[in-house]
Amino acid sequence: MAAGETMGMTTTYLDAISQALREEMRRDSRVILLGEDIGVFGGAFKITRGFLDEFGSDRVIDTPISESGFVGAACAAAIEGFRPVVEFQFADFVTCAFDQIVNFAAKAYYRWGTPVPVVFRCPSGGGFRGGPFHSQNPEAWFTHVPGLKVVQPSTPYDAKGLLKSAIRDNNPVMYFEHKHLYRRIREQLPDDDYVIPLGCADVKREGRDLTIVTYGAMVHDSLAAAERLAKDGAECEVIDLRTLVPLDKKCFLDSVRKTSRALVVYEAHLTGGFGGEVAAIIAQEAFDDLDAPVVRVASMDVPIPFSPPLEDAVLPSADKIYRAAVDVLEY
Amino acid sequence: MHTEPIYLDPALDRTAIAPVELVAREDLLTWYRVMRLTRTFEQKLAALYRQGGILGAAYLGTGQEAIATGVASVMQPRDYFNSVSRELAAWFYRGVEPKHVMARWFGKDVPPSHGRDLGLFLADLERYGLAPYANAPMGSWLPSGAGYALAFKLRREPRVYVAFTGEGATSPGDFYEGINFAAIHKLPLVIIVANNGFAYSTPVSDEMPVKNVADRAPAFNIPGEIAFGNDIFEVRRVARRAIEHARQGLGPYLVEFKTFRQRGHGEHDDMSYVPAGLRAFWERRDPLRMYIDYLQHGGGMTSDQLSAIDAECTALVEEAVQYAESVPYPSPEKVAWRLYAD
Repeated sequence: MAAGETMGMTTTYLDAISQALREEMRRDSRVILLGEDIGVFGGAFKITRGFLDEFGSDRVIDTPISESGFVGAACAAAIEGFRPVVEFQFADFVTCAFDQIVNFAAKAYYRWGTPVPVVFRCPSGGGFRGGPFHSQNPEAWFTHVPGLKVVQPSTPYDAKGLLKSAIRDNNPVMYFEHKHLYRRIREQLPDDDYVIPLGCADVKREGRDLTIVTYGAMVHDSLAAAERLAKDGAECEVIDLRTLVPLDKKCFLDSVRKTSRALVVYEAHLTGGFGGEVAAIIAQEAFDDLDAPVVRVASMDVPIPFSPPLEDAVLPSADKIYRAAVDVLEY
Repeated sequence: MHTEPIYLDPALDRTAIAPVELVAREDLLTWYRVMRLTRTFEQKLAALYRQGGILGAAYLGTGQEAIATGVASVMQPRDYFNSVSRELAAWFYRGVEPKHVMARWFGKDVPPSHGRDLGLFLADLERYGLAPYANAPMGSWLPSGAGYALAFKLRREPRVYVAFTGEGATSPGDFYEGINFAAIHKLPLVIIVANNGFAYSTPVSDEMPVKNVADRAPAFNIPGEIAFGNDIFEVRRVARRAIEHARQGLGPYLVEFKTFRQRGHGEHDDMSYVPAGLRAFWERRDPLRMYIDYLQHGGGMTSDQLSAIDAECTALVEEAVQYAESVPYPSPEKVAWRLYAD
């Protein structure tokens, strides 16, 4: 039993990911893991602690520090019938493997009809003073690439169910797990082998006055803002996209048609972030239903700085979401 | 120009085939058929490109046919390989039909790509053992090659992955990352480097600080061997050793074949950067001409026998053009088909 599982029968976001991996490896011998320090050390965040003992070095493969090398190898092993799950130590390092992901994994099926069932686990996100190279949210680089699926869970329940779906999917899946949620968010999980289909958003809070469309860590900040707004008398609906590709448009469009107001919240940089796409879809498909402009809350367009007052200035927060929501509600 | 014009060690040089093994007549003729078919096909491709029949660009392997043919001839049927752009002969050796290659160059609706990728590229593991990879930046096929080899090793299968590459692709990081991973895990990866003297227009002396690509092998603690790439017997002798080494579980093996690309990087390239002396040097070492000389003398073949094969190849290429012209283009209605697997 991993640490954390013992506390009040609840499971952390981190342990939920670990459980999904362990259960999938027990279920399917084709699942193999590759990554830096994942074996004896159990990974930088200890997601794979104990895996080497249980599954052996054929299935838990420690790699040299060469992301492009082991990502390329994982894609080929996937084509050959394995179901590799690659751990990036930090999502920021995905840049080193960009070519193998966007030019090999994403295009092989379109070009040759060869499925590439591989999952790339990318510990992403800021808020814990990681500085410019350990805090980024690079999901939009990958939503721009046809052929990839992109997942970003916000809760332990979703993290586990979505990772299982990603591993069982026959396409390359970018799985962004937010580091700041690892030990901060916990909940009770069902005992059964549940999966959450890719492409289904989730209404995390119901409301009639404003739709907040968000994903990842910002779900929690958005829920906090919604609680505060409720005290002001405004009920917000909080939609957690959960997967960006495929995108559940219907879920948030239905909500916007009900509330007539939309706020899009994401932790990545404002410009070119996936929330821009969501805002465009709302503007294009629900324009007649809107009573206010679609507003985005996201990180400022600067690198994520290290020093606390600087990082706090850059990242979105419950307070910033609250203030933006008030503006939209009062428009 | 500060390039060394002849990048071939005189000790490896030759202007005639050195037949170092006894070979059945049938095999000798098979190799000839493959090399001739490749030469004839590529000459046709170049002509079609000049006439506007082939869009985009055309890339040929003229002058390097002995390497692709020789290496393919010592692979086992279940071995995998990747080609880059100079290994059409290996496709033909493994059974790829000229008409399908030509139809792909025309952008027609033939499997497995259905017009989505250049005629230059082909991947079909099931039928030819020809592996998919990112045909984008150079060297990307070494990490993927290591991955296919990893799959063989994990399944305890005595199969080998042969990664064809040029010397230009030995500079990017992927070359090192792929071989490094394979060497750590002793994966059955054979790296066949065709060193043709130029990465597009850049001579070897401006590409790398070592004289030979094989000089880089000690960094991976793997064997690195240099050989003359225009003698098919020499290619087979060295490639066989490399492939058996990998098949025995001893890890990767790197072979560098010195050769020369007789055409430009692509047919749009006039090769003005190649010194006339270097061109003349290698023209005297044309792999097909050397092989014909051998077949007609030591090999005991008559010119009539070879002419019959030449005519057969010409007919196959003509048929390929007719086929390519006759099959339809892919429908734009299917442009989004087969993006995600079920």
